Amino acid sequence: MSVPAAGARAAAGRSRVGAAMPRAGSTARGALPFAVLVVAWAAVHRAGILPPIFLPGPGDVARVAWEMALDGSLAANIGASLGRLLVGIVVSVPVAIALGIVVALDRRLARVLEPIAGFFNALSGIAWLPLAVTWFGLGWTSVTFIMANTIFFLVFFNTLVGVRTVPRIFEQAVRTLGGRRRHVILQVMLPGALPSIVTGIRMSIGFGWRALIAAEMIATSTGLGFLIFNASNFHQTDAILAGIITIGVLWLLTDRLVLQPLERWTVERWGLVTS
Amino acid sequence: MTRLETAATWAVLLAALLGAWSVAAATLPVPDYVLPSPAAVVASLGDLVVKGILPTYVAESLRRIVTAGLVALVVGVPAGLLLGTSRRVADFAYPILNFFQSVSGIAWLPLMLVWFGMGERTIVVAVNYTVLFPVIFNALLGVRSVPRIYVNALRTLGASRLRIVTDVMLPGALPSIATGLRLGLAYGWRALIAAEMLVGAHGLGFMIFSAQAFHLTARIMLGMAVIGALWLVLDYFVLRPIEQATITRWGLVQR
Amino acid sequence: MKAKIAVRGLRHEYVNPFTRDRVVALDGVDLEVADGEVLTVVGPSGCGKSTLLGILAGLIPATRGEVLLDGRPVAGPGPDRGVVFQEFAILPWRTVERNIAHGLEIRGVPRAERAAVVRRFVDLVGLAGFEKKYPHELSGGMRQRVAVARTLAADPEVMLMDEPFAAVDAQTRITLQEELNAIAQATRKTILFVTHNVEEAVFLGDRCCVLSRRPGRVKTLVEVPIPRERRTWTLFTSDPSFDATKERVLRLVREEVGER
Repeated sequence: MSVPAAGARAAAGRSRVGAAMPRAGSTARGALPFAVLVVAWAAVHRAGILPPIFLPGPGDVARVAWEMALDGSLAANIGASLGRLLVGIVVSVPVAIALGIVVALDRRLARVLEPIAGFFNALSGIAWLPLAVTWFGLGWTSVTFIMANTIFFLVFFNTLVGVRTVPRIFEQAVRTLGGRRRHVILQVMLPGALPSIVTGIRMSIGFGWRALIAAEMIATSTGLGFLIFNASNFHQTDAILAGIITIGVLWLLTDRLVLQPLERWTVERWGLVTS
Repeated sequence: MTRLETAATWAVLLAALLGAWSVAAATLPVPDYVLPSPAAVVASLGDLVVKGILPTYVAESLRRIVTAGLVALVVGVPAGLLLGTSRRVADFAYPILNFFQSVSGIAWLPLMLVWFGMGERTIVVAVNYTVLFPVIFNALLGVRSVPRIYVNALRTLGASRLRIVTDVMLPGALPSIATGLRLGLAYGWRALIAAEMLVGAHGLGFMIFSAQAFHLTARIMLGMAVIGALWLVLDYFVLRPIEQATITRWGLVQR
Repeated sequence: MKAKIAVRGLRHEYVNPFTRDRVVALDGVDLEVADGEVLTVVGPSGCGKSTLLGILAGLIPATRGEVLLDGRPVAGPGPDRGVVFQEFAILPWRTVERNIAHGLEIRGVPRAERAAVVRRFVDLVGLAGFEKKYPHELSGGMRQRVAVARTLAADPEVMLMDEPFAAVDAQTRITLQEELNAIAQATRKTILFVTHNVEEAVFLGDRCCVLSRRPGRVKTLVEVPIPRERRTWTLFTSDPSFDATKERVLRLVREEVGER
């Protein structure tokens, strides 16, 4: 899903309606909108527009979050979710990239497998849950399987597409310099496909994280998904909101601290551009 | 490689796959419900169609996702445009939208269950939310990325503020909006399946989930195939062409 | 005779957002452009010529001083002052004819009349046959022709052109200059044309305004004594008075740049 960038942006003196969106800007400025949001939230809660059971105030949510932090349940659930995410990534990403490159080397095989990979891509995520539960029963195996699945197919597909779209001429250039197959792979295919791969990783973690939360609601008894779903059974809306905020914050942190730097460090540094 | 060769390779591959699968299903020492044969899956298809279950569930799921898409466009595009026109407002809204976008509708489901109970409304809210935010976010980004010079050019032609929005902001943001819709629906489709599983409303998610309880694995596999195929069709034949059309027709390329 | 455009004591300063220094872009510019005159404005880089045009266009506010159009003060952009920008400011999602028609659309001109006007200007800028094309299908020179046509079609009282041919290749540039000259004669529009290219300034202008380096002031106004009807590039390369005028302006600009 990556689209090449334009020279149009590089046109001299061209400025946009908006300057660059706030990226790694000052944390204070980034936090201000949320501060305002919390204040608005408190005001709505205070005004009693909705019954308190439906919309607890920020104070209640903070209190519950604190309690969960103290008794270790928050940490345990965060750990469970993140742990699964990590396993999913560590297992899937290298395999997907390696397999993607291997398949892509044979152009005919790649052309045939690409639509199949596309299909499994379309299938990714929570749709695997019933099958996973049939095979592995309830519990973390199923959940991790779903996640790994999601990440694997997306990265695999993007690797395939990425390698396929590397201009042939680079490969030819390296070969005329005496390069062997491994040179071609390491020096042409891998770097050339990198934008696509990195985009794939970023997207797959996004999809995977969502599939994780959903799967945890259904198929297991630990993790953030389970936390909020369980709380709903007891109408503990303050715990639910605490969980939701945790999920959002965790994802933002992952994106900011891991994924964006990854993109910056690999793709942007080499002057390649991704979508 | 010619079309014929590709098709031939496909046919061979497919046959090999089905053959291997059938053999495995027949010979592996596992209960039937772990690995049904391809024949069983096909039989299941016939069964579900004849009983009218599959068409109904497909229609239900599609109805929900298409509605969510339309709502996202009707509500999200104006909202995103509005938020995007002022630099200050856009800077303010950006992190908030980013946050709410990353908390998918499914995460809100437990809260929705408390508010609306186990019913259609819960699903609708969760799925619409999921599709909506990427659209608003991308509409905002799209507006911010429109080069100032187009606005200036229109101002020197005497255009009103509204004109600038309709003639410059909206078309300029369109590629970004198309991408946002595509992403939002991708998230939304998956959120829908999950929501149908959790809430138990008639739909594809429910179909495969309830099939698991009865070990109707052939039905699960069939459902999965349908889910994948539907998204593929939607994405490949509808969403991607729209996205491409806005980009290539105007000779724009995205960041 | 009252001047079409009158600039009095124009001053523009701003604060550099990075260094927090106060920058004076223009320091007391006085200028008059007669009705139907083509005035070119040249000067070293950073002398404020684009700022001057921006203020005239109403896109940049003046810190002090006034700009009058037919004696009326100018505030904000408007269709009375048409602008042709350096970069291609025609909308990429509109065809050639819809871009040219844009000013008329805004004014609410009915469709039939619009079509007639568009056809006239399409022919005027030599883009017949390209009406339904999109900008990305056109060359740089053609896109600028669309920009000129769009501005002209809106029938402004004056035309402000900000280095419109800078981003085009040399060959096309010469062609566009000759075309602009023809258009200026045909429409008798008052044109203020900013450029950093001295030859272009002398070729196009009835008078050539040389700005000093920053802070910009009017250094000299140089008359170009060659009648417009006689201005073609082939003629120019053999006309001694063109060379003389060109040398003069060049020398004036060089003084400001600091070369000898």
